[in-house]
Amino acid sequence: MQYDTVRVRTAENVGLGYEVAGIATRLLAFLIDLLLSGMVVFFAALAWLALTSAGGFTGGAVQAAGLIIFALVALLAFFGYFTIAEATTAGRTPGKRALGLRVIRIDGSAPTLSDALVRNLLRIVDVFVLGVGLFVMFANSRSRRLGDIAAGTMVVRERTSATALQQVVAPVIRRTPDAGPEVDGLDRLGANELVVVRTFLTRSGMEPRLRTGLAADISRRLQDRLQLAPDAPERQWPPELFLERLYLQLSDRLQGE
Amino acid sequence: MTPESFAATRQESWRELEACVRSARRGSLRRLAASDIERFALLYRRASSDLAIALRDFPGQGVTEYLNALCARAHPLLYRGAPMRLWSLGGFFATGLPRAVRGAAPYMLASAAFLLVGALAGWITIAHRPDLGDALLPAGFSNRLNREGVHASIQAAPLLASFIIQNNVRVALVCFAGGILLGIPTAAILFLNGWTLGMLGAAVHAGGDDGAFWALIVPHGVLELSVIVIAGGTGLMIGDAILRPGLRRRSDALVEAARTAAVIASGIAALLIIAGCIEAFVTPSAMPDVGKYAVAVGTGVLLYSWLLLSGRKPRPRARLRLDASERLPAGS
Repeated sequence: MQYDTVRVRTAENVGLGYEVAGIATRLLAFLIDLLLSGMVVFFAALAWLALTSAGGFTGGAVQAAGLIIFALVALLAFFGYFTIAEATTAGRTPGKRALGLRVIRIDGSAPTLSDALVRNLLRIVDVFVLGVGLFVMFANSRSRRLGDIAAGTMVVRERTSATALQQVVAPVIRRTPDAGPEVDGLDRLGANELVVVRTFLTRSGMEPRLRTGLAADISRRLQDRLQLAPDAPERQWPPELFLERLYLQLSDRLQGE
Repeated sequence: MTPESFAATRQESWRELEACVRSARRGSLRRLAASDIERFALLYRRASSDLAIALRDFPGQGVTEYLNALCARAHPLLYRGAPMRLWSLGGFFATGLPRAVRGAAPYMLASAAFLLVGALAGWITIAHRPDLGDALLPAGFSNRLNREGVHASIQAAPLLASFIIQNNVRVALVCFAGGILLGIPTAAILFLNGWTLGMLGAAVHAGGDDGAFWALIVPHGVLELSVIVIAGGTGLMIGDAILRPGLRRRSDALVEAARTAAVIASGIAALLIIAGCIEAFVTPSAMPDVGKYAVAVGTGVLLYSWLLLSGRKPRPRARLRLDASERLPAGS
């Protein structure tokens, strides 16, 4: 699935690519967090009840303090939970973590306490004023709601699957011992074609029939791009052999050494 | 160079960085030793320069995606604001908050003006149409006011306090958050609150019960209205940053104003706890009106001396020059 990506220039002057989080995913993360913050209030109330009944405090003053504290906890749970969670976990509240999301500032750094405060206080407008935040998110290219815009933050998807170094698989060359006879018109192909061939050759575990069909399709297109004559010898090679030889020659030419 | 040879020569340092990122608990490097943090920074720089190479040479391939994800996870660990410490909260309330409020003084004055204009409008409305006042005040209101005030039962007071605090905090936060909608809701809330107060005041004035009425408003009102005015000021500040960003980009102006405004609004909202307690426990109590006015004056003096004086740089004082006289020769 394709997501919108944003490039953020870091201090090292490298464009880090981030995937913008989808609106539905964000809503789901919000619901999880909402549930958790509700549980905070619930357990605070329970703890207070247990504490006062166990200690035998039933005086008016204790009750009064309890009610006031409870009102504050209930109020602060909504804003405080989100703000503190975002500020202390570098933008990954439990709900966001569960769905692989993260709040970052638009320069890629972690949100500070005041950033978190702004974006979560403005949730009042985003959520309660006719859900205006939703419309703003639809219109915004980076799916930012009003709170994000005012705080200078955005929510991105964090792909934990890509953080293990397993993707670098060498292409499997099985059918040819060396590069073979030179393919004509090699300089008509470039890096993009090399990626295509490489990707095909690194893919293992494909169904054989599918693999042959795909190889035939790719090699026919590449042969057309090489502008080979209809009776050129390259067209007679088995497609997979052609792709392997092409890969060896092309990578040798493009990537040198 | 192929992606495989590229990865083969460098993956050792990538894997080390990967392990560092994974071990950074709760998204923070705080538990690492100083030398490890230096090592982390080195590894991160190395990985990001590798990413730059990969983006150029192997676009759209596995290595590039891997390096991108690795750098994206390491970056916020290294680049972040100063960590917040709990004890810095004390300094914030002692000096930071009053300074921020003073810095935004024009907005606070504008906010107060909205409230006052509303109150004036309310007062004038009642002055022109006294019949509206009768509809506003329940029949016999002034009689009850004179006889015993509005004595709430003391059992209900805590409940009342928690309700009042919640309600006021909500109003204050809406005042702040309305800023993002150009401050229009903020201005409306300020005006309407002033309007209600003005109409009530005028209606009661017509009945001639001013003393008893204001004794019901002022003890907590000094704090409460000040907080609402300041919260309104933060909303106006945000709205103004959007409307008149000056030489900055609109979004930059908004971000900067919103940060200051949010800090002021959430700090000042804490005062509503005190105001709510006064409203629930002092205002309805049997305390003589003089006492209630004293509470009002006391909180007012405390609040404004804090807001206006706290955190100012001490003025350089002309020093007493004792040493000059000492240097005089003993005999002269």
